[in-house]
Amino acid sequence: MRAPFRIVFEQRSETPKYLSAFVPLVSVLAALLAGAIFLMATGYSVGETYSNMLQDGFLSSRGLTDTLGLSTVLICMGIGAAFAFQMNLYNIGGEGQGYLGMIGGAWAGLALGPHLPSVIMIPTVLLIGAAFGAVWIFVPAFVRARLGTSEIVTTLLLTYIAASLVNHFIYTPNSYFRAPDVTFPMGRTVPDSAKLTALGDTRMYPTFFIVVALALFLFWIVKRTEFGYRIQVIADSPRAAHYAGINARRTTMQVMLISGALAGLGGATLIVGEFGKLDPGITMLGYGYAGIVIAALARNNFAAIIVSGILFSGLRVGGDKLQITTSTPIHIGVMLQGAILLFALGGEAFRRYKIRTVRMQAVAQ
Amino acid sequence: MTNTSHEVVKGPHHSGDAAPIALSAHSITKRFPGVLANDSVDFDVRAGEVHTLLGENGAGKSTLAAMLCGLYQPDSGYLLRNGQQISLSSPRAGLQHGIAMVHQHFRLVDRFTVAENVVLGSRNLSFTLNRKTIDEKVAAVAESYGLPIDPGAIVGDLSVGQRQRVEIVKALYQGAEILLLDEPTAVLVPAEVEKLFENVHAMTAAGKSIVFISHKLGEVVEISDRVTVLRGGKVTGHVSGRGSTDTKELARLMVGRDINLSTQRASHPTGHEVLQIRELSLQTEGVDILSNISFNVHEGEMVGIAGVAGNGQRELADTIAGLISPTAGTISIGGAMATDRGPIAARELGLAYVPEDRLGMGLVPSMSILDNLLLTRDRHIVVDRASVRPEATRLIDQFEIKANDADHVARKLSGGNAQKVLLARELSGGRAATKLLVVCSPTRGLDVGAIETVRRLLDDARSAGQAILLISEDLDEIMSLADRILVLYRGAIVHETSGEAAQLATVGAAMAGLSTEGAA
Ligand SMILES: Nc1ncnc2c1ncn2[C@@H]1O[C@H](COP(=O)(O)OP(=O)(O)O)[C@@H](O)[C@H]1O
Ligand SMILES: [Mg+2]
Repeated sequence: MRAPFRIVFEQRSETPKYLSAFVPLVSVLAALLAGAIFLMATGYSVGETYSNMLQDGFLSSRGLTDTLGLSTVLICMGIGAAFAFQMNLYNIGGEGQGYLGMIGGAWAGLALGPHLPSVIMIPTVLLIGAAFGAVWIFVPAFVRARLGTSEIVTTLLLTYIAASLVNHFIYTPNSYFRAPDVTFPMGRTVPDSAKLTALGDTRMYPTFFIVVALALFLFWIVKRTEFGYRIQVIADSPRAAHYAGINARRTTMQVMLISGALAGLGGATLIVGEFGKLDPGITMLGYGYAGIVIAALARNNFAAIIVSGILFSGLRVGGDKLQITTSTPIHIGVMLQGAILLFALGGEAFRRYKIRTVRMQAVAQ
Repeated sequence: MTNTSHEVVKGPHHSGDAAPIALSAHSITKRFPGVLANDSVDFDVRAGEVHTLLGENGAGKSTLAAMLCGLYQPDSGYLLRNGQQISLSSPRAGLQHGIAMVHQHFRLVDRFTVAENVVLGSRNLSFTLNRKTIDEKVAAVAESYGLPIDPGAIVGDLSVGQRQRVEIVKALYQGAEILLLDEPTAVLVPAEVEKLFENVHAMTAAGKSIVFISHKLGEVVEISDRVTVLRGGKVTGHVSGRGSTDTKELARLMVGRDINLSTQRASHPTGHEVLQIRELSLQTEGVDILSNISFNVHEGEMVGIAGVAGNGQRELADTIAGLISPTAGTISIGGAMATDRGPIAARELGLAYVPEDRLGMGLVPSMSILDNLLLTRDRHIVVDRASVRPEATRLIDQFEIKANDADHVARKLSGGNAQKVLLARELSGGRAATKLLVVCSPTRGLDVGAIETVRRLLDDARSAGQAILLISEDLDEIMSLADRILVLYRGAIVHETSGEAAQLATVGAAMAGLSTEGAA
């Protein structure tokens, strides 16, 4: 005897448009629900925790500007990750490329000294940071383009090396990057001309607008230019690219270098922004890894990354402040991020499959 | 729905003492997302007969067969085996009722021997394999149906025809009484088809039932005791009586209108040499793929390259198109050297190339028709889609492509329409006006209606003076279209004949490597 119903997964011939927006939204809600269960199970008040997070992340003016401030680096990391992901190049080393961006930015700021004007200093710091990020992905990009070596492994391994490099520059006595007159190991601050001033009484810097503009520019690049066209062809079918005479190796190289440069730029925004120096604390913050989740949630859509970046930033800001305002462990914020990623990936199933029940046919003999 | 008539055409009838019905399907319906693959289909097969399912691609033949063998379950309807209702939850359940399917795409393990493949999946397999007894048992089953096969051979080393035989032996070994053969001839050369038909007769003589699936009219008439025609998931007619059937009538039932597949061969004079190939050789990893090939194609001429898949056709096309660099020899297009200059240079000389793999090589599946038109053209730094749109719309019209608009995504086109998009792009020129068209298997997998259109388009291009190199495994197609036929066997041209003088048997033998007379 069999059950009268069966549950079947049916492949969708096409994904309805509304699902593309619906799935990320539901993923976020499902993650909040999972978080609520966790909070209840551990004896915290769900309502209080969430309303605090919402207040501190989005609704209070302090919270909102903090969120937008933090979103600058997160959006930058997100577009960096997405730029490679869209061509099925899994650069998961944005974290390390970001460290290099910080190293490069700090080095440029310190080396150019205090005498140049800001209009030269700021762009130089940002560009050198981006260049350092690109340098850090060069070897993975080259071996991927030439030999097909998995970029997942190489970019990840280089992240650990980058972290050691940051620590080395700070903890080595007499290091160029280390503040000279203090016994406590910390970074040397770049000259004021290499730092932007925060907007009013906030922790938000003008780099936010640069990064948002950059995201929109990349959106345009992908949709409208020959370069974007080439990326789409290679991403969808390398054989068609070969057939059309598109040079996939060169494009792979270009795309990965840009991806690394964007992550490096993310690191450099911290130099001209709130850090102002190379700080080993960066290795604890995981901005580059967050960028991966932000890109995935936005399905590598550069315009959507602005939204998912701000959303993530708010979760972090709100989560971090919980520790101060309540006794809730701050890790609830981190947990929610992980849960969102899980649900967003799980939600893919709904985009591709329709789930329905089928009544088993009963036949009269 | 256009077909409202459910016609039943009766041929010379079987006498009343027909064998009992072994398996029958009653008002079977199966729906896939967006398609009604089978719509209240009735079908039955008697012991010892060949009952053919005829229909165009997408008519629902494979789907019906999959339900007859337990691979899919019907949404509604039921099956009777020897009059008893059965419900098949899996292919294994099908096997228990003596029903087995030989799929369009073989399901064999290349690294295993024939015997290992045959016994693979048997439930009553002892823990340790005794190679010798298994080999003997497998050989015995094969012998009894005239299917000579070496049980110890590695499947990966076998030809396609031999692999198919392994699949059939496997089904018989597992005790199949009813064999479903899904488009078994699609992969075979004429000599192998003949051999297969002998095996089929041996099996029916032994009382087995054969459900034969095909969309090729000629062979259907030859092999079938009865024919059931499917169109758009519905049964459009039954015909019975071997050999006496009217192929025109079958074609009409299959397509829903009258069809004319014959084309006139070039009666017009041919002009200058457009493609010149001299002593072309290609080696990859020390293996000869192409050896010392020389031939020309003239303006207004269609040269057909016949051969069994895997004899270097794809590589020949790719080399001409500049995608592969030859090891030796030269290619010139329109009098200019094209060797080793890459695909874009070849196109600038007037090459157009329709590869065998439409979706994935010729077209980018996720892109729109409009963007696909841009694939082989000159694109500006900022892609100017607006200026291409009118042409895209015009081509959709001119080539009768069934699509909503130029933004229709290639993946959502049917095979025939995808092929039309590809031809539209390649024939309309891009970087230069098309002088030379290289087409590979242009009608493979298409339904009869689309085949008719594609052949007409090729014919028109030839009349317009383009040189055409037609590379196809479909010998009928080459025989009916090409002005000149070259047979490629193991990378060399082993036979050359004019289209008019071509003999099916001779060309077929050359394809199988049997005859080398007339070698170039
Ligand atoms: N597994 C499947 N999922 C979705 N659609 C399918 C599937 N199999 C077949 N179809 C669709 O059902 C129809 C009939 O297909 P099929 O039975 O393979 O036809 P045939 O074998 O006659 O060429 C086609 O439109 C095909 O696209
Ligand atoms: Mg089929």
